[in-house]
Amino acid sequence: MITLDNISKSFNATHAVKNISLTVSAGEIFGIVGPNGAGKTTTIRMMTGLLTPDEGKILIGKYDIVNESIKAKAILGYVPDKAFLYEKLTAREFLIFISSIYSIPRNEALSRIDEMLELFGIKDIEDELIESFSQGMRQRLLFASALIYRPEALLIDEPFMGLDPFGVRMLKGVMEDLSSKGVTIFLATHSLHIAEELCHRVGFINKGSIISIKTKEEIKGMEGGLEGLFLKMGGQENNFC
Amino acid sequence: MLALLLKPKILSFKNSVNAGIVLRRLPFIAIGVGFWVLFYIGIYKVLSYVRGIEFFGEILARKLFSMTFFSLLGFLIMSSIVTAIASFYLSKDIPLLLSKPVEIRDILRLKTFEAFMNSSWMALSFMPPVFIAYGISYGAAAGYYLLILGCFLLFSLITAGIGITIAHILTRIFPAKRTRNVLLGIGIMLFLMLYFLVKALIPQDISAPEGFINSIMSFKTESPILPSYWITEAIFPVLKKSSFSIFYPIILLSNALFFLLLSEIAGLRFYRVNTERIQPSGERVGRGILGRYYPEMNTAMFYKDIKTFFRDTGQWSQMFIIGVLIMIYVYNFKSIPIKALSGFPFIKEIMVLVNLVLSGLVLSAVSARFIYASVSLEGQAFWIIRTSPVDIRKFLWSKFFYGFIPVTALMLILVFLTNLAMNVGGILMYLSLGTVVMLCISVSGLGTGFGAMYPKFKYENIASVSMSLGGMAFMLTAFSVVIATLSLEAWIFYVYNFRAGAVGGLDFSGKIQIAASFILILLMNASAFYFPMRIGKKKLQEYTGII
Repeated sequence: MITLDNISKSFNATHAVKNISLTVSAGEIFGIVGPNGAGKTTTIRMMTGLLTPDEGKILIGKYDIVNESIKAKAILGYVPDKAFLYEKLTAREFLIFISSIYSIPRNEALSRIDEMLELFGIKDIEDELIESFSQGMRQRLLFASALIYRPEALLIDEPFMGLDPFGVRMLKGVMEDLSSKGVTIFLATHSLHIAEELCHRVGFINKGSIISIKTKEEIKGMEGGLEGLFLKMGGQENNFC
Repeated sequence: MLALLLKPKILSFKNSVNAGIVLRRLPFIAIGVGFWVLFYIGIYKVLSYVRGIEFFGEILARKLFSMTFFSLLGFLIMSSIVTAIASFYLSKDIPLLLSKPVEIRDILRLKTFEAFMNSSWMALSFMPPVFIAYGISYGAAAGYYLLILGCFLLFSLITAGIGITIAHILTRIFPAKRTRNVLLGIGIMLFLMLYFLVKALIPQDISAPEGFINSIMSFKTESPILPSYWITEAIFPVLKKSSFSIFYPIILLSNALFFLLLSEIAGLRFYRVNTERIQPSGERVGRGILGRYYPEMNTAMFYKDIKTFFRDTGQWSQMFIIGVLIMIYVYNFKSIPIKALSGFPFIKEIMVLVNLVLSGLVLSAVSARFIYASVSLEGQAFWIIRTSPVDIRKFLWSKFFYGFIPVTALMLILVFLTNLAMNVGGILMYLSLGTVVMLCISVSGLGTGFGAMYPKFKYENIASVSMSLGGMAFMLTAFSVVIATLSLEAWIFYVYNFRAGAVGGLDFSGKIQIAASFILILLMNASAFYFPMRIGKKKLQEYTGII
């Protein structure tokens, strides 16, 4: 479903991402972990089309994100790490706007909006301006907007930012449900215990390169689990431990 | 401590300036310098003409000098109040500053410096051509330039002190977000009162030079309690090389210190209480009559922008200012003594042309506020557009129509009303309205394209977008397109009426000139629309900045 073919990206002659190749299949939850500045966000931003790779190719489904961006974006959902939204719209108006730009027919959109507002627990504040929302509420709204058009692949940068324990629990359930329905999820996170619990595979990124990919089973069999592995990998590469 | 608090700002500025950026901004700097030179030449010519008027010349030149500072006094105080509210109460660094072991007094001083710089930079950068023109015209010595620089700085500090004090008091009475609305009302009222005051002083028949001079002279800007009077009294004797008195510069200095101290006392008294009153709160919005409306993909962007416009005070409040300007504009045209001037040949045609030039200036200014800023209005939420299946070309077209429709309606009404006020009808009316529509298309395309080429998605106040270098460059380019178009139209008119009249019919050369001018008008306006839109689309697709 998602293919990264030898992608690289540099900023001012410094490699942010270097020769990453990866395939994530339909229904898989793939996590990417690594220290700050390792290249997680740059990788995701290239996958969304916000940045263009200097080298390599990214396929979302069968579409190239650079050359067939409109088709690729139509099946892609994205939840960024910073929740900048249209502050002067209400939650409901924002979801109507998103449904419109994804060309969802009116009746289907309206029922889907109600469904999403209920699912993410923001029905009570649907007519309030987004500018008054807390970080957690914004995160819930972002998820609602990313799922409203039933994407085939979902890219998430720090999914649990600002969420309370109820929100985290609800979101884990939503992601597992989506995965069981065949939606591919690619997430970057620092919440190692959640990545360990949710992800079918986890990739370790450091200095722009993926240095290791482990399956859920492989991680379970290791001493200290994902956290132990992370510290070991980070220590080897960064000497910060 | 103030130096320490200023350090992040200075370092941010230093880090944002490098050879590459300076090179990229070179065209804007060139446009700015060109404008500065033209402004200087214009002021110098007007001053030379005024000083040449028998008996009254010198008095008039002095009067114009004091009237300039009188207008600046009002403008700078209003500007200081608005920027002080933004700097002291709405700025994003305030929570950080308040949470650190920094004395309130130091925060107040930092914000005073910011408010002073933000409110007076425009006056400080636009006034030098006026000062230089006066200096050259009077053959002033180097001391004049030093004196005017120092006095103008003190004058600006007085206005900053007054503005900041009023801002603290207003915010004590109203929460900061509402203060801007209240302020806007006060500003408009003051402006209207001043206008009608001036209008009442000026006699209706200003066609005779004596009447015009008398009306200017009767306008009392020279009250000894006003800083504009002090600065005139400090500068003019040096300009005329008569004498130099330290009295008025000391008055300016003591008042600058007094008002800065007053603003600090007001700040120490109100600032902490005021900042606690400004907390975000949930606001439920009614769905209204369009609550069940579901826009299609192509209209969703437009619908969202319209909704946001009417909910964002920073945006819709600008309509009032523009409304007042237009009212005065129309009223002025109604006051033009067309009958008294009817003896001049082609006076109606000339007045239509002058009207179009002035409305072109209004078009450029309004477009900078509403069309140039429309792409940047997306703010840091622009990632939503970039990651969704929205074609950037369609996005730009939506922004184009968002600005083009209201601006064209406004300009058509404006030119139609002013033409009516001057009793202009028939072919001249149709031609001027046609020209307006063409200019609205090209300037709207130019504005949308420039806005896409130089977007500013991170801003504190949307008004600052149109005041950026890109915004200024757009305004000057748009006005150049207007002037070039109208000059070519005037040339067609000249060839058709005068040269053809002189040789008893339109010869081959005349026909060629008319056809060439016509083609040039179309080509220039089409280019002004097409190229910026095209380059803007490309730049926006490749945009990797702050989103």
